[in-house]
Amino acid sequence: MPPLNAFVFLSAFMFVTGTVGVLLRRNPLIVFMSIELMLNSANLALVAFSRFHDSAEGQVFALIVIAVAASEVVVGLALMVAIFKSGRALDIDGLSELRG
Amino acid sequence: MLTVLFAIVAALAATSGLGVILNRRPLYAALSLVVNMLALAVLFLILSAQFLAAAQIIVYAGAVMVLFVFVIALLNPRREERPLRGDAQVVAALGVGALFILLSAVGLFASRGFTTFSAHAGAGLGSIQGFGNVLYRDFGFPFEATSLLLVVAAVGAVYLSRGR
Repeated sequence: MPPLNAFVFLSAFMFVTGTVGVLLRRNPLIVFMSIELMLNSANLALVAFSRFHDSAEGQVFALIVIAVAASEVVVGLALMVAIFKSGRALDIDGLSELRG
Repeated sequence: MLTVLFAIVAALAATSGLGVILNRRPLYAALSLVVNMLALAVLFLILSAQFLAAAQIIVYAGAVMVLFVFVIALLNPRREERPLRGDAQVVAALGVGALFILLSAVGLFASRGFTTFSAHAGAGLGSIQGFGNVLYRDFGFPFEATSLLLVVAAVGAVYLSRGR
């Protein structure tokens, strides 16, 4: 069995990968996929610690994270389709009405 | 044995995660994400979370990724001339990313040595019985709140994408 450190490091690596993707890419679809990557890495850490503490609570948290991620994807993709239907380019830098 | 399997699957998960953010075409990025989620399901099996591995494959690799691929095919975005943001932001993001990976490597491996798991998982950990006991006894309210969230998300998606 590999040590807990390895699982947590893989989780941190995937989280940083997703963060860099959010900061780097202009395509909002890929930004959404990077957010999925970050949620998945959090799940990996939750399940690893759940096995470490021999308690199923971390797995329940991970299941709820999966449900939240699914609903977030549904709303996000509906937003993409609405933006696309209004005839605008799918570009993070172009969608700046909410800029503070 | 498990360590070798972990090394292979972890390398697969890390490279497919990089593939998500490095591919120019959204469809290839989505397929990388499918590989990443399947690798995570195998890692869940190694961590004796059998039910969660099945849920991961059904919900993520099944439902969510089908939705992603469907929307990518529907929108069919043009090939981007500039897939990345401004130069300063690219440099800053890569620098911060490398810094955080370095910091987590130092923090996790250099400070206190390795933390090993117990040899065998507790009885019923990750099985549907053990999982359901905790979910319905201790986390009843979050479970109900999740169902409300899913209804709100479905209504919101229909509202946002309705024809005008």
